[in-house]
Amino acid sequence: MKLIVNGIEQDVASPPLTPLLHVLRDELDITSPKAGCQQGGCGTCTVLVDGEPRRSCLTALAAVDGAEITTLEGLGGPDSLSPVQAAFYNHYAAQCGFCTPGMILAASHLIESHGRPLERDEVLEGLSGHYCRCTGYVKIVDAVLAASRGEATEIEDLPVAVPGEPEVQPKGSPA
Amino acid sequence: MKAVGARLPRYDGIGHVTGRTQYVDDVRVGKTLWVKALRSPHHRARIVSLDVSKAEAVKGVHAVITHADVPKNVYGHLEGLGVPADEPLLAEDDVRYKGQPIVAVAAESEAAAYAAIEAIAVEFEELEPLFDMRKALDAEAPQIHQWGNVYPHYGPYNHRRVRKGDIDRAFDKADVVVQGVYRPQAIEQMPLETQVCLAVPEASGRLTIYSCTQAMYFSMGVVAAHLQVPLNKLKFVGGTVGGGFGGKVDTATDTICALLALKSRRPVKWRWTREEEMLASSTRAPWHIELQDAVTKDGWILGRRTLTLHDAGAYARFSPYGVTKHAFHHSGAYTIPNLRFDGFVVFTNRVPTTAMRGFGVTSVSFAVETHLNRVAEAIGIDPWELRLKNANRIGDTSGNGVVLKDPSTVPVTLAAAERVGVELPGSYRAMTSDPRTGELLPEHLVAQQKLNGEGAS
Repeated sequence: MKLIVNGIEQDVASPPLTPLLHVLRDELDITSPKAGCQQGGCGTCTVLVDGEPRRSCLTALAAVDGAEITTLEGLGGPDSLSPVQAAFYNHYAAQCGFCTPGMILAASHLIESHGRPLERDEVLEGLSGHYCRCTGYVKIVDAVLAASRGEATEIEDLPVAVPGEPEVQPKGSPA
Repeated sequence: MKAVGARLPRYDGIGHVTGRTQYVDDVRVGKTLWVKALRSPHHRARIVSLDVSKAEAVKGVHAVITHADVPKNVYGHLEGLGVPADEPLLAEDDVRYKGQPIVAVAAESEAAAYAAIEAIAVEFEELEPLFDMRKALDAEAPQIHQWGNVYPHYGPYNHRRVRKGDIDRAFDKADVVVQGVYRPQAIEQMPLETQVCLAVPEASGRLTIYSCTQAMYFSMGVVAAHLQVPLNKLKFVGGTVGGGFGGKVDTATDTICALLALKSRRPVKWRWTREEEMLASSTRAPWHIELQDAVTKDGWILGRRTLTLHDAGAYARFSPYGVTKHAFHHSGAYTIPNLRFDGFVVFTNRVPTTAMRGFGVTSVSFAVETHLNRVAEAIGIDPWELRLKNANRIGDTSGNGVVLKDPSTVPVTLAAAERVGVELPGSYRAMTSDPRTGELLPEHLVAQQKLNGEGAS
């Protein structure tokens, strides 16, 4: 069978009923989709199959033969972040980061399929199948809203704290 | 002050948003074996017989370990603090909670590992379990732990004690006594990343252990103790944790993986299923907290009596420490000059309990804050006034005898009121953490302040 993963065609040898999650992780070494619950409950294994979000833990390889699969690695690298990735970074929307792959892919699809800035309720509804156990939802929702408004398309020029460098000026402190 | 108030980049932020962050399960090492465990199907049972020979013969199986393979099988998480050991890494004579590991195997595939577990011959004699810590002290309750149902090693006592002031006098002088019982329940920490470890035997004879632990050096010590090897035989790689919330303080997978890696001479990985995580990983403890406050009509708390039961589950682990923390916080953020606290660590046949977001403290804070509202209602006083009057101030003494130098109860309470839109009277808003004087230094607190002034603590 074949998969087109992040634009690259791959021949795969896993048995047809292997969950797509394991094909990606164990055969192709693409590790951003996580084995969170492997029951379709948590959302962190989410990938895009022909542009649609799917739980890769519940998707058999045979059901997606020939499909285009997008994982978080394919959305953008460190030097080419997508607007949603940049928004998650700028809004500190990833704490432990384990739910982030599914969150970003689902949010990207949500924004694209709406074609207009989202309301907070729409983001809550759209991401309701994704758990963040660090309970960082406020920042995640803020990031998705910002991305849907076309804000935060570039990484903000955040100050970098390096030992020995001049002090970063805290907000509201005397100059 | 480089960081407070500043927007700083997360060092792992780019890794997280691009899927490049490498968690334990993402580490790729060739020829890695799968680990599975035989777990107790019973809450409490005697192991009558155990035969792993058929499991060892399953195709693809490279190592099978039982208690006999562990150099030091029985270990205690608090041994370094003088608490005796009570928990076997792999059960030997008996099992005390459902899900307790008995045998672990490493095999070429997940399927072969499962097949090996199925091939183990084990016979149990089921025993009556104990689940309710309130029944643990009953004469007819089954005795489920070798120390009895109550942890006995708090110095000369079988419970953590706090004694401060003259508690009987406080209750004699009280206008009202307010009682309450509070029972926060067990919670699974439920990180999205289940317990996971990858152990790799190196050519040098050392072991590299990729760990999801929240407590790296602690886990290193636990593994070294069970294996009876010096620390320099272990190289731990960690720091990237897919959520822990206290549930990754106990060492769940590292030691068993280390033993299997040594025995099979292959890298081994153990990633718990969600079912295992829910069944067998440690949880936050259930607690039973009884509070009795001696209060005056005008809103002073003269004294507090406390009885706490802490459900440790089947083994002690960190529970004695959790109850000690609980004891230190049992007067909350308030000054109560007369205290009597008794806290018991109780064993049951539940999964062992451990840290979760404020180990031992969240339970007592829940009880104390709920109780203060009950006190305020009983004497007809504004709950904000009750809290602000009794709030810790500079020079007050905590329950365990620490003279407070920078308490934050007053400013935090005022800020909380503001954030929830409660308009407090100006006299409350003018309050500070400054040492008590005038109306805020009633007779029952004078003695305590004087004591502090004389250098006692």
